[in-house]
Amino acid sequence: MPARKTSALLPTAFSGLSDLVEGWALADSTARLEKRLTTPVAEIRAFYDRMLPCAAEALAYLAERQLGALTPQEEALLKLMLSLAEMGPAIEWYGTGAYPDAFDARRFPLVVTLPDNEAQGVAA
Amino acid sequence: MNERVAKSPQVTPANLTLKHPELGTGPVPARPYWDPAWYARELEAIFKRAWLCMGRVEQAKSPGDFFMKKLPTFDLSVLVVRGKDGELRAFHNVCKHRGNHVELREAGHCLGFTCPFHGWTYGLDGKLAAVPDEKGFHELDKKKLGLTQLPLEIWEGFVFINLNLKPHQTLKEFLGEHGADLEGYVFHRGTAIFEYEGVINTNWKCMVDSFCETYHVPVLHRHSIKDTLAGPDNPHGRLIDIRLKGPHRTQSVWGNMNYTPNPVQGLAFQYAPGPSVTSGVVDEHSVLPKGLNETRAPNWSIDVTAFFPNWIIVMGSGMYFTHQMWPLAANKVVWQMRGYLRPATNAAQRFGQENSMVELRDAVLEDCNTLERIQASLDQGLINEFIYHDHELALRHQYHVVKQWVEDYERSKST
Ligand code: FES
Ligand SMILES: [Fe+2]
Repeated sequence: MPARKTSALLPTAFSGLSDLVEGWALADSTARLEKRLTTPVAEIRAFYDRMLPCAAEALAYLAERQLGALTPQEEALLKLMLSLAEMGPAIEWYGTGAYPDAFDARRFPLVVTLPDNEAQGVAA
Repeated sequence: MNERVAKSPQVTPANLTLKHPELGTGPVPARPYWDPAWYARELEAIFKRAWLCMGRVEQAKSPGDFFMKKLPTFDLSVLVVRGKDGELRAFHNVCKHRGNHVELREAGHCLGFTCPFHGWTYGLDGKLAAVPDEKGFHELDKKKLGLTQLPLEIWEGFVFINLNLKPHQTLKEFLGEHGADLEGYVFHRGTAIFEYEGVINTNWKCMVDSFCETYHVPVLHRHSIKDTLAGPDNPHGRLIDIRLKGPHRTQSVWGNMNYTPNPVQGLAFQYAPGPSVTSGVVDEHSVLPKGLNETRAPNWSIDVTAFFPNWIIVMGSGMYFTHQMWPLAANKVVWQMRGYLRPATNAAQRFGQENSMVELRDAVLEDCNTLERIQASLDQGLINEFIYHDHELALRHQYHVVKQWVEDYERSKST
């Protein structure tokens, strides 16, 4: 198998975002919150600015695909988008990354998490 | 034309409280919000007597399925189990031998419960089925040693229990008009579940109140939900309406129909598996029950339906979430926020769900420092009374209901 193919981190159309995968395709919702709390706002903004122009296209791409049946590249793209969801309010609501009178979000953790990439069954 | 449909968005006048003369309009004493002695009376009169929500029927679908609900207030865990006969039952998770918990898992499937201490085994119906080395006991009457069963009743797929083995009301009587008016909502469609939990240094009633007035929305939430739940046409976050129903209450929250979402938020609304809670979009497939947006206002966003004493369902047309408060002391509460989203039918909708989880958490955490500061002021004796705005009627109502439950119970005991 050609090495180039197996090492692709994202679907081809999104390969321009590959350098973001290592830092921003994270394990789960809790890891994304931790990333937000520990990343300087300038870095969050840089991530947001890179992702936003591709976001609509990424969602249109993911809308054709099923949770639980994603390739590793598709899953990495989804995870970048989930990080964008976590970072969204940091920029769009607060601008400074955190609410000015921020309560420590670690004091209110997720105890039941929605998995990133598992089929959720059909709507009842 | 239906007169009850408002023709255009309008701001509700400040006359809600006047419809309930028995509640008065003056200040409310602050003592019940810090006094440990009063708190102890609340536990006896309210938390040990009111129906308390444990979860959903879907958490134990088939015979042998069970889930455990912790009640931090009493350091108790309740087992909810579906029996072979298909019935749900609730038990104290306490072994009749020497009191160990018979089940340690939070949820699962089993044929019965075997206590991990000495191995006493109970059936799904709670009956004591087997005792290792039974001959070694003197006068053991297994028939009398089943798990203690708690009263369990179901409303709209939500499982309620009562810690009083002989409740003074049925669940239906307890929920009354409030329950009846919310029947028919599509609760069962919210199968993608997430839950946050934390301890906040505040009185449990203040935590409830935190979600029961929108007067603070334009100020405290100025960075986040101000423009969705208030807006130029409703600058002070007036409610659409509030209805008091026995000890419970429902308030309809105004929504800004001209809200323009932020870029990421807008994409999330587009790809959410159902209308997002603050998107202002009403799901035409779900018929709203009578008690939801009861005035049928066009500029409606959500109803905050408070179930006495410690449970709130925030209901939009496409998703809902609940808050539950379990007091630990007069100035400390375990707060659980549980979201019920429609399941994602494709990978992009997982992004919409994540946005709901994140924005909801961010917005509600804005309330928490305020709550802890208020509690410090209360504990230091610096506030003797609360002064309530007309649209803070829910807070006034809760005060009166709590007082009435405590006083009625204590009177019934002394006669
Ligand atoms: S305490 Fe359960 S078997 Fe002994
Ligand atoms: Fe709030």
